[in-house]
Amino acid sequence: MIRVEHLVKRYGANVAVDDVSFSVAKGDVVGFLGPNGAGKSTTLRILAGFLGMTAGKVTIAGHDVALDSFAARSAVGYMPEAVPLYPEMRVVEYLAFRAELKRVARGERRARVDDAMAKARVDDVATTSIGRLSKGYRQRVGLADALVANPPILILDEPTAGLDPNQIREVRAVLRALGGDHTILLSTHILSEVEATCGRVVVIAKGKLLADGATADLRGMRRTAGLAITVRGDPAQAARVLRAVPGIARVQVAAVAGGAPAKRDEAPAAKGGDGGHAGDLSVATCTWKKKIGDDAIARAAEKAVGSLVLEGLFVREAKAIGGSLEDVFAELTRGAPPDEAGADADEGADDGADRAGAPRGGAEA
Amino acid sequence: MRSFWPIYKRELFAFFVTPLAWVLIFVFLVVQGMHFYLLVDHFASQAEVAGDQTPLQSFFGNTVLLYIVLFLLVPPMTMRLFAEERRSGTIEALMTAPVSSAAVVLAKYAAALTTYVAMWAPTLLYLVILKRTGVVDWNAAAASYLGVLLIGAGYLALGLLMSALTSSQFLALVGTALVLLALFILGVGEFVTPTGTTLHAICAHVSVWAQMNDFASGVVDSRRIVYDLSLVALPLYVATRVVDAWRWG
Repeated sequence: MIRVEHLVKRYGANVAVDDVSFSVAKGDVVGFLGPNGAGKSTTLRILAGFLGMTAGKVTIAGHDVALDSFAARSAVGYMPEAVPLYPEMRVVEYLAFRAELKRVARGERRARVDDAMAKARVDDVATTSIGRLSKGYRQRVGLADALVANPPILILDEPTAGLDPNQIREVRAVLRALGGDHTILLSTHILSEVEATCGRVVVIAKGKLLADGATADLRGMRRTAGLAITVRGDPAQAARVLRAVPGIARVQVAAVAGGAPAKRDEAPAAKGGDGGHAGDLSVATCTWKKKIGDDAIARAAEKAVGSLVLEGLFVREAKAIGGSLEDVFAELTRGAPPDEAGADADEGADDGADRAGAPRGGAEA
Repeated sequence: MRSFWPIYKRELFAFFVTPLAWVLIFVFLVVQGMHFYLLVDHFASQAEVAGDQTPLQSFFGNTVLLYIVLFLLVPPMTMRLFAEERRSGTIEALMTAPVSSAAVVLAKYAAALTTYVAMWAPTLLYLVILKRTGVVDWNAAAASYLGVLLIGAGYLALGLLMSALTSSQFLALVGTALVLLALFILGVGEFVTPTGTTLHAICAHVSVWAQMNDFASGVVDSRRIVYDLSLVALPLYVATRVVDAWRWG
């Protein structure tokens, strides 16, 4: 349904999109992933027919966007990143206007508008002026706008930006329900979003295509790096026990200040764990040996927790480190393994990508 | 062109749901009412010096009164047409719908023109008032309104173009005012350049001043109409190309 071939977009000397090719099959839900400034929005704007490309070819539902823009635009429901709406209009007026603009037949308009409002869950604000809506509602009005003509293809630029966690879950559920009937390409810099909604992912950074594959494949690109175990008891003993577990290369134990559960990110920073006494909490960060398989990792994890318990220590929590899409992403954009800790927060992933030097691409000198 | 109608309706909605159109119409009618009063009062008190002039003729021609209201009202009417959408980003939603650039330009223009006509419509009452106390030359009146419509149409097209050229409403306002002023001054050049020179011919041709004097006395010259229509068509065409060009910016 969407085919992008060697797409290039330059703004003067600045290359925003550099030779990107990918395609989206009918019914797929594809995540278009990249840090801020990677060229996601530019690419989507070209796909939606808002911007022209410098070179390359984009085909939407069989129509070349440069040569047959009108037919291509008719097949797409596009939600721009900023979700621009006319503040003086009421939600239902706006959607009726958009439906007419997108050539929904007069008799169907009412039903299409109601359907789009129901799907995007904005029916409760139907008669509110858009200017008075919260960011979350505006975002969903944008989604309703994309849906209103029931287009075969949806192109959504960061559809969950600015939503609260409940709304994000709702929007993801809507997107999952729409997949199958609709072909969806959605951009995001939040990796968990891709894991939650998309079957496939296209990764882009600094305008270059980095990866393109099934979400499961991408996750498979990287095994977990280790295990963070929150232990109550003598930290030194915990370290000793864990070092004896086969498969564990390194153990760092850090006391948790005030007995509060530590965030994983902070664990390596608060290094030490010498002065602890029984009853204190500490986080033991274990790193797997290199070149051991998934099975060995699983057994080592079982053994690590088991040994601690056998030695009379109390295990509160055990979390796998790494292995999420964030780590894959960080690795792809940086060309180096990610930090052992952290990188699970979205911001962490962004920072990682911003720090990146040259992305690991073929043509880099 | 099917997208013309929804955009036209939305533009009119945007004009009239915000205070801008109402403020402009209010100011317009207050100023025009004042002009009308002053003219009628003047002609009533000095009937002997008025000669063959009529209040209606002075209302539309021979005085700067008409141009004052046009300069004041056309730029704020057109400034938001494209500049506002580009600044707020709604242009992205608009242009990614299946619409043609020409339909967008024409719909916005038509909405501005409709507002302009709505603005002038109440002034027809002045004719009714004049008729109650004297004789109205209906041909001259019709010609005057035709002139006002034609000149306004050209001014609005220029304003629309200025709005398409910038994403700042303020710059669009200032730009439009400057272009209209420049055109007016060029027209006045008819009176300061030597007769027979090319410059004089050009100035006479583009002079809104001379045109409205003619139209107000009932003289409708087809050359004027052609010029006015070209002043509509050319800016609208350029604006369409400008809208197309955004894609490739």
